[in-house]
Amino acid sequence: MHKNLQKSTTHINLLVFMILVTLCPASPLFADQRVTVIKGGELYTITSGIIKNGTIIIEDGKISRIGQNIETPKDAKVINAGGKVVMPGLIAATAQVGMAGSDNQIAESLDPFHYSVSFALASGITSIYISRGGSSTAVIKPTYGDLDNMLLKESVSQNISFRSWMDKTNLRQNLGKAREYLQKLDEYTRTNNQKKLQDLKKPSGLDTYIRLLKKEISARLQATTTAELLGIVELIDEFDIRVIIEDAVEAWVVAEEIAKHDIRLVITPRDKRRPNELISAPSGSTLENAAILKKAGVKFAIVPTSPSFATWGVAGRDLMALPMEAAFAVSGGLDEQTALEAITINAADIIGVADRVGSLQAGKDADILILDGHPFHHKTFVETTLVNGKVLYEKSKSPYFSHITHKD
Amino acid sequence: MANIYRYILLGIFIFGLSIPAVAEDVTVIRADRVDTVTSGLIENGIIVIKDGRIAAIGSDVEIPEDADIVDVSDKTVFPGLVNPSSGIGLSSPGGGPFSRAHLSVVDELYPHQDVYKRVLRAGFTTFGLVPGSVGTGIAGQGAVIRPVGDKPGEMIVIKSGLLLINFQANDRTKKGIKSALDSVKDKMNSTDPKVQPLANALQGKIPTFITCGGPGNILHLLKLLEPYKQMKVVLSADSELYRVADKLAGKKIPVILPARIDFEPFTRNRINVPKMLVDAGVKIALRPKSDGIQAHEEFLRDVAELVKAGLDGEVAKKAITINPAQMLAVDYRIGSLAIGKDANLLVTSGDILDIDTKIHMVMIEGKVVHKAP
Repeated sequence: MHKNLQKSTTHINLLVFMILVTLCPASPLFADQRVTVIKGGELYTITSGIIKNGTIIIEDGKISRIGQNIETPKDAKVINAGGKVVMPGLIAATAQVGMAGSDNQIAESLDPFHYSVSFALASGITSIYISRGGSSTAVIKPTYGDLDNMLLKESVSQNISFRSWMDKTNLRQNLGKAREYLQKLDEYTRTNNQKKLQDLKKPSGLDTYIRLLKKEISARLQATTTAELLGIVELIDEFDIRVIIEDAVEAWVVAEEIAKHDIRLVITPRDKRRPNELISAPSGSTLENAAILKKAGVKFAIVPTSPSFATWGVAGRDLMALPMEAAFAVSGGLDEQTALEAITINAADIIGVADRVGSLQAGKDADILILDGHPFHHKTFVETTLVNGKVLYEKSKSPYFSHITHKD
Repeated sequence: MANIYRYILLGIFIFGLSIPAVAEDVTVIRADRVDTVTSGLIENGIIVIKDGRIAAIGSDVEIPEDADIVDVSDKTVFPGLVNPSSGIGLSSPGGGPFSRAHLSVVDELYPHQDVYKRVLRAGFTTFGLVPGSVGTGIAGQGAVIRPVGDKPGEMIVIKSGLLLINFQANDRTKKGIKSALDSVKDKMNSTDPKVQPLANALQGKIPTFITCGGPGNILHLLKLLEPYKQMKVVLSADSELYRVADKLAGKKIPVILPARIDFEPFTRNRINVPKMLVDAGVKIALRPKSDGIQAHEEFLRDVAELVKAGLDGEVAKKAITINPAQMLAVDYRIGSLAIGKDANLLVTSGDILDIDTKIHMVMIEGKVVHKAP
């Protein structure tokens, strides 16, 4: 189609040109239109309920207006979502996606053609947290083929190992030194002691810990058992830092403690762990984990058992099944709204990008999905994925899924 | 300029002009058809070879009296094949520093290897020999060689034929390549063996071959190359190139890729990547699907498969002769049948891309180097 257009323009055959333009609304000519409109459909805004038969106006890659009875601007590209579900792009709070190599400098080896980028789009995942250890963390978007817009935010959290006793000792000592420095700095500044301020040297290698204590960055740790989780609770009592915990299988046992310390979690409802038969206290995994945490007031994100796009092994356990993982939390008693939040706005909040993505709100990035059903239904497919207002995936054109149709 | 030269040649073919040969070492080939690649097909073609070079070519060429006549009047003549990027016959590389610009493949050439005889039989008369991969970095200098000769020196056509860089999108590689290239910026006329190849590559005096992974890596590479405008970059890559076809065409970067039908990843859709690149406007050279002997022997059949699957036949012929010769910057003497060029040619039973075509004779610089029994 594109070719035809080019040919006819070079022949300056205006009539043919005009006919072609009117015949193919999906032609690249329309890609330059500044305004895109998604019309009709049920809009799952996540943050302000469901808008029936709503309209979203997209300008310069952002949502400029959303609601009912909004007039479609002239010359806008219109995407008809009548009868469909429209929702914000999903957020993967842990993933291995979109990297060409294994570089610690994430920006230097992003791969916008990586197969995982196409799969992310097909699965409706539009913001992804990736980590190469330490503070080498980032949130990326699957902007297929576009390297320049792939990186959303760098250094969003600090990975900290808190499992071996050496890790724990080192962390405590370093945080202690950092706090001592900060306290002195604070004291000298308060008393305006210029001489002492000049003599006060920032200890080397403690930048990370200083940032943690100033709450400029969250610590991201892994903890599975009650004992490990309570160890982190103790750490927060000692040093006032913001913490995100991955795994957290037994979090339900100490949900109140976690809530009290404002610890954010990244959980996998389907994770299994045997109860410890040697202790009488509750232990092990439960499908109710998410529901209990919600009741206690804990903020959590949900990720599947395998936070990558697997091309082998058992299906339904990788990132392609992100909504399904959230649906398992619903099976365990969690309400649907919170389950949806755990893969959109709350996940975005935990990875530090909630100001940009995670809900359908005016001013946010136009990362939007059009689905052919409820996101938790097993038959539901992503039909269209927009990232920054651009249509980057259409099921009808997908080499993976275009042939799959349901006959009810 | 090259175009004018081409038209003059065309004129010579049309009017059957020829330069009278008087020297002793004159060979004349009388063929059914001569496929020049760059100037079309000549029926009942005659090629006059003097001192290893083509002195005259056409259908109405005067045959010198004392010439040796090779009468193959039922056969087709085609230029010798050029593999622009191969490590055939080289020893496996050792490790080394990130920038090994001073190292050259000519120091590890071993003539008399069976592989060279076998690739001759398969029709290859020129190789761009590149250093083996020891990870990312400036891998060293490649050479242009002919797969014949008793001593390493006799095999060499161009000693320092190209600079090879192995690229991968990561911080270390990018910084390493940048600092290696930038370190010679003020030493353009240096004769230091560690500097000169880099300086020559930077100024475009020798081509720079760059190996690179998938299309994402290529985006990073294109960014890295932006400041080095004079470099004559040739991309040697393999996977999913079609995804960046437009970008490569826009930057006018020629590509060496294997003659192979691919699958679109994670689907059963077969794709003809060489054709997709050509359609996007990229200049391509085809190489065997692997660097092994068998792939060289199956090469023409693989190219024929690509043509069967839609690649233009004339483009395919260029992609195995003149295009790789251009990428190696030896097209002034190699890659097509034209006056003044090396008489590197194949005598075949029919069109080079017919599946049942056999190679009867291989000539390098006018000498018969292989004759089918």
